[in-house]
Amino acid sequence: MTLSLHSEFPAPDRVIVQVGGRLDAMTFGELDEAMLALLRQLDDGGTVVIDLAGLEYVSSAGLRSFAQIRKRMRARGGYTLLLNPQPQVRKVFEIVKAVPVNEVFTSTQELDAYLDRMQRRIIEGDSDA
Amino acid sequence: MVLRSIASRMALWVLAGSTLVLAAIGTLLLSLTRAQILQLTHHEAAALAASAGSEIQARIDRVAISTQMLATIIATRQDSAEPLLRDTLQANRDIDGLAAAFKPSSDPVDARPYSPFVSRLDHGALASRDLSSDARPYWNSNWFLGGLSCSAGCWQRPFLSLSRQRQLINYSVAISRAGHPIGIINADVTLDWLHQVLGHLDKPEGAYVFVIDSDGDYLAHDNPVLVGKRGTPELLNAVASDQAESVRLPVAQNPQVHGAVWVYSAPIEGTHWRLGLVVPEIRIYAGVRRIFLWGLLLGMLALLGVALITLLTIRRTMAPLGVLADRAEHVARGELDFELPPTSRHDEVGRLTLSFDQMRHELALHLQDLARVAREKQRLASELEIAHQIQIGLLPSEHYLDAVCAHFELHAALRPARAVGGDLYSYFMLDPERFFVMVGDVSDKGIPAALFMAQTITLAKALAPRAQTPQNLLRLLNLELCRGNDSCMFVTLLCGLLDTNSGNLVLASAGHEPPILCGQGTPKLLNFATGAVLGLYEDSDYPEHHLRLHQGETLLMYTDGITEASDDHQHMYGIERTVECLAQMPATASTAGYIERLLGDVDRFVADAVQADDITLLALAWHGAAQSHTEVCIAGQLEDVFVGLDRCEHLLQEAGVAPSLRSDVRLVLEELLVNTVEYGYPDGRSGQIRVLLHPGPDAVMVELIDDGIAFDPMHPPDPSLPGDLADREQIGGLGIHLARTMTSEMRYTRHAHGNHLLLRFIHPNQDGTSS
Repeated sequence: MTLSLHSEFPAPDRVIVQVGGRLDAMTFGELDEAMLALLRQLDDGGTVVIDLAGLEYVSSAGLRSFAQIRKRMRARGGYTLLLNPQPQVRKVFEIVKAVPVNEVFTSTQELDAYLDRMQRRIIEGDSDA
Repeated sequence: MVLRSIASRMALWVLAGSTLVLAAIGTLLLSLTRAQILQLTHHEAAALAASAGSEIQARIDRVAISTQMLATIIATRQDSAEPLLRDTLQANRDIDGLAAAFKPSSDPVDARPYSPFVSRLDHGALASRDLSSDARPYWNSNWFLGGLSCSAGCWQRPFLSLSRQRQLINYSVAISRAGHPIGIINADVTLDWLHQVLGHLDKPEGAYVFVIDSDGDYLAHDNPVLVGKRGTPELLNAVASDQAESVRLPVAQNPQVHGAVWVYSAPIEGTHWRLGLVVPEIRIYAGVRRIFLWGLLLGMLALLGVALITLLTIRRTMAPLGVLADRAEHVARGELDFELPPTSRHDEVGRLTLSFDQMRHELALHLQDLARVAREKQRLASELEIAHQIQIGLLPSEHYLDAVCAHFELHAALRPARAVGGDLYSYFMLDPERFFVMVGDVSDKGIPAALFMAQTITLAKALAPRAQTPQNLLRLLNLELCRGNDSCMFVTLLCGLLDTNSGNLVLASAGHEPPILCGQGTPKLLNFATGAVLGLYEDSDYPEHHLRLHQGETLLMYTDGITEASDDHQHMYGIERTVECLAQMPATASTAGYIERLLGDVDRFVADAVQADDITLLALAWHGAAQSHTEVCIAGQLEDVFVGLDRCEHLLQEAGVAPSLRSDVRLVLEELLVNTVEYGYPDGRSGQIRVLLHPGPDAVMVELIDDGIAFDPMHPPDPSLPGDLADREQIGGLGIHLARTMTSEMRYTRHAHGNHLLLRFIHPNQDGTSS
């Protein structure tokens, strides 16, 4: 089983990438390439939501890819949120403490709630400014 | 309770002893005194009886003489008989009446002769009458006829005069003229005076006197009832005997006296009367008995006093002893802090108190010393216990079953004679196919041996990878141990290297006991040439011995603790018994069975004797050629890696390994294989990587064998994990960290041709820490 990718832009500052299959030393290049193209289309300060519901397996090569995406987003003032990691992925994440816990969500509802809160904060922040 | 005190006991003993002595002496004294008193009484009583007898005799003599004189005078002056009688009667008051009776003439015509009888009346006046004018002629009376024959005077029998109401006795004397009796003078003598005489005698108290006549009748008696009665035969017998003046009679005749009596008698001369004095025996001894009783009483009182004084004195003297006894109980309870009684005296008690005090101080010091020694001993024991633990820690476990595929099995047993010992054994995989085993015995026992043993075992482990063969290892080890071995300790060592695939075994020995090969017929003692012991001679050489273990064969290696185990009689177990014991083992016996059997046999032989030396026993068995394993070969390209990973996963799936464990294995293999492919061949050559899978019921074993450059995945330190990979400057080392974390066990060996990595994954349902 190889890697499968699917992406959509619900808003200009948000992209949802669905990653499926196996992310390892063999396939991490595909993800890196695809993300490079997607991030280019995204506004600065936007949010990348990586939906991991279909990802069965990740190795250290995949971890490196995720780290790169988050580094890049951070450089542009944006956010990277992970959604629905499966057991193997969650285990690997835990061992190497890959991402802060508050950036991983186990369901879409949880993520939406978080995004709404963030949206409000930005608006309030703007009005404050 | 009272008798527990020494003072009471001594007082009691003094009392008892003195009483005994007093009683004995008193009894002796009493019997002596009694004899003396009896003697005295005999004398007194005899004298008294004699004097009373003479007094009575004197009065009787007076009567007799008067009467005889009267008879003589009247013989010539018959006519003046009456006045003579009157004069005589008046002169002698003992005579109550006097009669001068004459025989009448043979011619009845003649006038009867005047025979006057003068008697004393009650008021003292004298009355006279003529007997010849009595109605009853006197000359036919007995008293007259009897009197005629008494020329010298006779006492007649006493009689009771009815006319005068008194006891009288007659004294008759014949009046002789020309040799013929012509009449008699008869004197009536009253016996009142006899009673008076007896009554006035100075008799001993309780005694009585009597006078008895020749017929044995009482003339007078202190008890008037008995007068006129006859004495008992015993009494008469006693009184009659001349020689015995004092006779003891068991019973007195007098009813007023009870018990035995002494009778003293004296004859009254001139008569056939006897005077008797009877003294009751009880009266004789009354005084002495009273004195004796008083003496006894006073003596007892004195003894009681002495006992009391003894009691008080001893109690007072021993009072400090009581306190000491009390304190000694304190000492027995371990309390040494107490007051002792003041010791001003210099006697035994004073000395005892002083030495007790000293003893207490010495004891306290001694106890302190003892406590210190005990603490020291405890510390040593605990150190020794720790040393024991450390030494045990140096030894590998007692059972080794080849984890990969059970090619061979080893059981070991080590029993130190003391907490720590000089025996050693060790084993390890030198590389994936060669198993190294050794057993040794340090020359000494105890802590020095233990230190030397630790040095040997550590050096052997460190040198083995460099040495590669038993011969080399012994040489290297010998050189190392010789260095600075001033105490000249040495160790015998037997090394073996087993090729786990073929069962080939290379042995080399440094002066160690020959191993025994069991399983095919009789056990065989492998007596091959050995080198010198390790640690003494630097230039020693150690020839190798090659053999091949077959299935079912077991190699026994041991130390001299087995062969030199001794029983109570200093008989050694010996190699013959060892071989004999092993010969009885069934061919199918396990290594554990060999160990158990041989140790059990040694234990039975030794019985209760103390174990003198450390005992070590190893049993090594080879189970045959390797079973086929699942092998995946990978060329040194990344693509090949993933093909291989898929294949591995497939094989594991076929073997029924759980999906979660499969994905763990895949992740670890990916990380390690990718790492090897990327960094293992820096020279760009194409590598060869073998993956051996051994799925088992408990765990999955994986061997990774490559021919790349040396890389120990255990070696790199854990990467820093700040909690966000995006924060890290450099994203490296994560894969190795993941691989290390996810395997249950990881063992790395580098051998001549490359790297060998052994991984073990325990099923998560058996071990919750599979992650």
